[in-house]
Amino acid sequence: MVRTALVAIGVLLVVLSLGSPAFAQSDCSKIVPASPWGPNDQTGATNRVTAAVTKAAAAEIQTGKVITMSYPLVDGVPLFGSRFTKTILTATSLAPGASYGENELTYMEDTWLSQSHVGTHLDGMGHIGRKDCYYNQTPMGKFINQNNMTKLGLEHLKSFATRGVVIDAVKVFQAANKFKGNSACKKPCLEKGTVITKADLEAGLKMYNVTLREGDIVVIHTGWGDLFEQFPAQNAVYNSGAPGIGKEAATWLASQKVVAVGVDTWVVEVIPGENPKEAFAVHNILITDNGIHIIENVRTDLIAAEAASSKRATFFVNMTVPKAVGLTGNFVAIDGIQ
Amino acid sequence: MSTTPTGLSGRRRRRVRRWLAVVLLLAALAASATAEAQRQWVVAFANVTEEPGVTVEGTGFTGAEIRESFKLAARQFPIDLVLYDNQRNDAKAVANAEAAIGRKVDLYIAYHRGPAANATIAQKLKAAGIPVLAINEPVPGAPLYTLDNAAAGRLAGEALAQFAGRTWANQPTVAVVIGRIAAASERVPERVQGVTDALRARLPAARLTTLDTQGNPAQVTSLLGAFLAAQPGKKVLVAATDDATALAAKSAIESAGRTRDAVIVGQGVDRNIHGGANDRKELDPSNRGSIVLGSVAFYLDRMGYEVLPLAVKVLRGEPVPPRTVTPHKLVTAANVFVEYPPSDMN
Repeated sequence: MVRTALVAIGVLLVVLSLGSPAFAQSDCSKIVPASPWGPNDQTGATNRVTAAVTKAAAAEIQTGKVITMSYPLVDGVPLFGSRFTKTILTATSLAPGASYGENELTYMEDTWLSQSHVGTHLDGMGHIGRKDCYYNQTPMGKFINQNNMTKLGLEHLKSFATRGVVIDAVKVFQAANKFKGNSACKKPCLEKGTVITKADLEAGLKMYNVTLREGDIVVIHTGWGDLFEQFPAQNAVYNSGAPGIGKEAATWLASQKVVAVGVDTWVVEVIPGENPKEAFAVHNILITDNGIHIIENVRTDLIAAEAASSKRATFFVNMTVPKAVGLTGNFVAIDGIQ
Repeated sequence: MSTTPTGLSGRRRRRVRRWLAVVLLLAALAASATAEAQRQWVVAFANVTEEPGVTVEGTGFTGAEIRESFKLAARQFPIDLVLYDNQRNDAKAVANAEAAIGRKVDLYIAYHRGPAANATIAQKLKAAGIPVLAINEPVPGAPLYTLDNAAAGRLAGEALAQFAGRTWANQPTVAVVIGRIAAASERVPERVQGVTDALRARLPAARLTTLDTQGNPAQVTSLLGAFLAAQPGKKVLVAATDDATALAAKSAIESAGRTRDAVIVGQGVDRNIHGGANDRKELDPSNRGSIVLGSVAFYLDRMGYEVLPLAVKVLRGEPVPPRTVTPHKLVTAANVFVEYPPSDMN
């Protein structure tokens, strides 16, 4: 009798467990590589920004010149379909008689309604996965609620105080006599669909005699950001595709142990992609597989021009990323300091 | 057994010469291999037409989309593309082949409807020693890459029959094929035959009707409306020969108040019927309840990705099958983002 009851309970437990969500999820150990920083790692590549890396990067500050590398946050910049930004100013205390106290204090505040992946922004570890598997074999289905992620949020990131290296892909393509531009750009820009290869990146580094080192942030100037600057006139062209790195270049950058890859496009990778049946494969390589951040809509023209004039493609990265709990990405402000 | 200094020196010289010869041979081989590895081929693609707005092969795709697919696919190969527009004109097609011969291209991809012109093109290119790949229309002696309209039609017919068997078993069901039924120059009749074969094999009891719109989707409402009115109480399977017709058929069925009685399968999977993550087109993962069950993919916007690997094989002297067909597939709300990943969600 007891044995029968135990068997029945056992069978019931097996049936219930088979129906639980855990069984509906993928075996992420077969889909995404493990983090080199251990099974509990939620940080990703900023683990590489050690005190020694920051100290070495500080040596890049030689003239103290600060170069802006982000675009202003403003309504009307290129966005996709359902994405939006909307700023609303609260200025009620400016109304006659609405000021406070004898000192007639007035105040204003804003409401900023926006999705996180707009403007110059950073993609976090929770942005891109393969099936339900995200960075460090995280079965993301277990770690989301209706408001945010409970794992891999931006609050886990470490410092970005490291060395930046700008690669001027426009110059690389011009030097190789293979430059094809887009007539909508006011300044030279690579045409959408242009694949930037590992060899192109190496040629860009060689131009300034730079070798990548662990912990670097690589910034690629394609010129496509010129269309972003023309908002809203060229928003449709800007969003219609992009020049960018291909899978081989992404894999190589990952092998160089960089922390982030930034570019003056909405996507970092080449669009249309190399394989029309793959979606954003470079995002998977960098973020999902290697924990490397992607920074999109970076303003690269000024740092590229500075590199050309100073003959130095390296700089100190001054970038702030809010510790936004459970977010997949956020706006960032970036300065390059030489 | 002693060797004079002179003899020893002579033997050494011979040995050194032999080694030098080996080294030079190896260097020559390496240089040749490097040259081959870095060889940039010039490939001509003569498109059937690039006239703006003109669609090809009885689908919603344009020649410009086909050309773009070649340009994008060429990024993966050591190929410089030379592009021609045959303008659906025999004389122009022959002139393009002559121009390509003048440019000494390494391979010619011919996409032209016109057996006589294609025979001339084959002759001229053969005389110039330039290999040819043919698209959708045979060129004598050239491997052919082609759509398989009959197979595409069968896929549509089978999808409709499967739906009927699953959902409307034992209910009176009729089938209709609607679109450019008689467009023989674009092989639409083969597509219609494929649908017919599949439906007759799987739903032998269902009466099958064809409605010819002669390429005018505006005709769909009146033709299909009259057909629906004549079939009260019956379930209706609609095979549209292209996506624009499929969408017009949906509209006609809605107008007739028969959405519970009809389902549609289209042909092509062009941008009329699918789009990005935010486009909310008919074939969309969030629209799984649509009466448009799906559409059979023709992948004309990816033709370059299918053809250029064949071109590279020809250029490398590797064997190429005499006939390669498009891998048609039924695309539905469930797999449209797998087949056509959106690029507007980053």
